[in-house]
Amino acid sequence: MKNPLPNPLPDAMPLRDALRGLRHAVRRGGETLLDVMPLDQLPPPASQLAGAMIREMGELAKGMGEVASGFARLALGGNDTPHGAPLQLTARIGAEDTFAQGIYAALRLVLQRLDAPSVYVSETAARMAFVSLLPDQRQGQNADIAAALSLSLAEVKVMRGTSAQDAAHVPGRAIEHAAIFAVMLWLQSNRSEAEDEAALASATDLALVVATEADAAFSARDSAKLAALYAEFAAHV
Amino acid sequence: MSDLPPLSGSLPPTNEPLRIAVRRMRWFRAAFDAYVTAIGDKIGCTYKIDDAKLAGIFVRWLRAVERQKPANRQDRHDYFEFAAGLMLRELTADMPLSALMPPAKSGAESAAAFWPEGYACTMFCLTVHSAAMQQEFKDKPQVSVAIDDLRHWWSFKENAQMDASFSVGFLLTVLGHQPNWMMPDVFRVRLSNELQQS
Repeated sequence: MKNPLPNPLPDAMPLRDALRGLRHAVRRGGETLLDVMPLDQLPPPASQLAGAMIREMGELAKGMGEVASGFARLALGGNDTPHGAPLQLTARIGAEDTFAQGIYAALRLVLQRLDAPSVYVSETAARMAFVSLLPDQRQGQNADIAAALSLSLAEVKVMRGTSAQDAAHVPGRAIEHAAIFAVMLWLQSNRSEAEDEAALASATDLALVVATEADAAFSARDSAKLAALYAEFAAHV
Repeated sequence: MSDLPPLSGSLPPTNEPLRIAVRRMRWFRAAFDAYVTAIGDKIGCTYKIDDAKLAGIFVRWLRAVERQKPANRQDRHDYFEFAAGLMLRELTADMPLSALMPPAKSGAESAAAFWPEGYACTMFCLTVHSAAMQQEFKDKPQVSVAIDDLRHWWSFKENAQMDASFSVGFLLTVLGHQPNWMMPDVFRVRLSNELQQS
């Protein structure tokens, strides 16, 4: 007998994350190989063989990225471009997925600007950060909500696989904290859709300037201090 | 007193009042980039901008402006001038510009040739200030003849390198005021009030 109810869509977010994780591993593997293999010093045909292998890994990583993005569009209507969602945490269905997709896309752009594009970002962790907020943390001023969400994003490790080289691009080597700060500051900024990209770039630059202060607040889990920094700069992105 | 060189058209458009726009990082950076390109074309010089330094300058300027902001709305006009001086202070304290060549279209005895980086920063501050004053107060600021006097620029460059607060005094001089050289980067209304209370 035919099932009268259609099967519910599977949760595509962890699958997307898994594919991105594979892509991250393959990319990093290629980078590591490039670091340790002195390609230019290898005699042919070993150098051609090694070069072809690394190119192949690059193509594989690119293919995985396309599959992951395809899932985002197809399964959940996800989009890799942020649209500047306002910081309004309502109880509407799917808010956590919208938040996670926006955070993922924005973090990717911020990490590119920080010259650390290969850091792994977990959309599932971003969703978990949203869901784990307590009801009273969803109330209050934007800066307070942003601070609670920021600490939650850091807690669930929304970014992983940061290398020492990536971290060195930020004062105090706190690249995860600076990136989260940049995205949450951008979310609070007053901007048109056309200004989204310029505003995100500005928020990233501001985050770099106050990276030491923000990192101290993150490390101490000082929500009030973080909220004060957001309140100070949200109007100046 | 005379008009500023007409480069205010190089500032990017904004739907917001300039006093708001200039305190947004994205407009400030776009304005600085555009102005430096325009003045570089005018004097025949190419500049390189250090974006990281510019971001730091912007944050320090914001905080300095906020710290000394007068409570009395009657002081707004004076504070606009002072804020422009604070911007020049931060720019000269951590110069974000480097001239990649000597200005090809400026005379050897000109301020632009003498100190191309300081000249561009000063003219940027004066231009933003002038545009904001016209918008807020229908007031078109004039600049003193001191702006063409190389001795002032010598003094400005030498003193600003030792104490960046001198830049505030220089800008106020160029705008035709007599600054308090003891504490040029302390808002004068507040300073005079404090002196009266002591």
